[in-house]
Amino acid sequence: MHPLTTADQPPGTGSGPRSRPRWWPRFNSTLRSTALTARLGRALGIAISISLLTGLLSLYQYEPWSWLPAPATPAWGYRATQGVHVAVGTATIPLVLFKLWSVYPNAFRWPPFRSVKRVLELLSLAILIGSILLQLITGFLNVLNWYPFPWDFVSVHHYVAYVVVGSVLLHIGVKLPDIRYGLQTKLPEGDVLTEIPWNENPESHSIAGDLPPPVTPGISRRGVLTAAGAGISIVVVTSIGQALTPLERIGLLAARQPSKGPQGVPVNRTAEEAQVSAATIGADWTLQIDGPRRYKLTLAEIEQQAVHEARIPVAAVEGWSIHATWRGLRLLDVVERAGGNADSHVRVVSFGVGGFRRSEIFGPQLSHALLATHLNGERLNLDHGYPLRLIAPNRPELLNTKWVSQIEVL
Amino acid sequence: MGYWRLVLAIVGVLIVFYGIVNLLVHIPIQTLAWVAVWLTAAVLVHHGLVSPVVVAVSTLLRRLIPDRGRRYVQAALITAVPVTLIAIPMIYRQGSQPPSKALLLQNFTANLGLLLGIIAALCLVGYAIRVARDRSPTRGR
Repeated sequence: MHPLTTADQPPGTGSGPRSRPRWWPRFNSTLRSTALTARLGRALGIAISISLLTGLLSLYQYEPWSWLPAPATPAWGYRATQGVHVAVGTATIPLVLFKLWSVYPNAFRWPPFRSVKRVLELLSLAILIGSILLQLITGFLNVLNWYPFPWDFVSVHHYVAYVVVGSVLLHIGVKLPDIRYGLQTKLPEGDVLTEIPWNENPESHSIAGDLPPPVTPGISRRGVLTAAGAGISIVVVTSIGQALTPLERIGLLAARQPSKGPQGVPVNRTAEEAQVSAATIGADWTLQIDGPRRYKLTLAEIEQQAVHEARIPVAAVEGWSIHATWRGLRLLDVVERAGGNADSHVRVVSFGVGGFRRSEIFGPQLSHALLATHLNGERLNLDHGYPLRLIAPNRPELLNTKWVSQIEVL
Repeated sequence: MGYWRLVLAIVGVLIVFYGIVNLLVHIPIQTLAWVAVWLTAAVLVHHGLVSPVVVAVSTLLRRLIPDRGRRYVQAALITAVPVTLIAIPMIYRQGSQPPSKALLLQNFTANLGLLLGIIAALCLVGYAIRVARDRSPTRGR
């Protein structure tokens, strides 16, 4: 027996178009209602707006425009926005599934393709649902450093975001009257949402006039919202510890435990992944500084000059972050000695292999940046970028170039 | 309202096209085909597998469990969905990363068990209170 046909209470209450086949699914659960959907949709709209804004901000942080350098204050800026981006994105996964549950009967209108308009609507809904699920799933997989898909995560995540947001706006436009009805109606009183649209359903309030509110024999609609909210809250509270240090101890669902990283900070890209080993850094390692006045610094000179300390958080695009104490040389001092100044654009080059082996820094972040030799009181270990790494406030972790070999004043 | 609906729809369609054009320009077409496969699979798996299972489970609950108890079972299951959903990929991937990343080091099976246990216990307590109240001579609500 098909589960859908047995789904919701006895079939054939006399409603619905006459011609549909007997096996066509019927949904009689009184829980579903546009009043419930509109409330879930409102939460989803807010979540998607936050994800969009923090996502675009992250994109800018990775490649700031030269006329608008990324600020250095607050130092925890990226920590907060990206922590929110990942937390909200994670919470949106179950939220969107609850929303889809609430409108599932709409997929079973009879006849399925009644008009060109309906076909177009179904197509746009397929794009909306597919793109939002794709976006959320791959985003979460990225947090887990898990790439079972063959495309570059960042660019697809960026462009699919426009497909999601555009589809959502179109959807809001199409559904505006329903949204209005749903939000203006008290939750227990809203029409039951079934596979029969309200304007064809003789049992809807809109057609039958004043009716007693539908009876929900099991859990109530309010109960559904409360339980869903509770489940989503548990996910957020038990995973946000990867960005909100005081909650790390209850981070039962936190992918990262930042304080468990070596020297108190997790590593995003290991020395092994960048093909860096102690052997590639010989005793004769020097830092090459290119600019109007080229010069070199030996390891001994660098360690001698590394006296500046700063508290700068490390914040990664995957949403984890933690505060750390750094010691090193001020990058600006090094740049000025090469003939540059606080207005220079500076390129920091790594001898590591692969992506993010160079980054550019300019504006306020340049003035606040360190070339760090020490992390939390210890000499940087190899995974953290020994012998020398860049660290600047409000700057994504991957741009804080590790295993620095060369500074170019542009 | 009609005016706003039109504006929303037009702006929405334009943004969708902006995204699609960017995908076509920046992503190789073979790769993009895989994006389309994932996108389609997501819809099919949700509508063809996940939702029917949910409907089947709720039908079973309705047949097997009386209304008073069912409320609490439903509340427990709904609360458990987000937690389980997030935990499963982490269970699958736990221990897969270099230790220095401090990533997926936890025993997420145990963590999920703990969270589900707490949810089940709370709902059981709620049900017990309900039963006790229904039985009390004053039949207080």
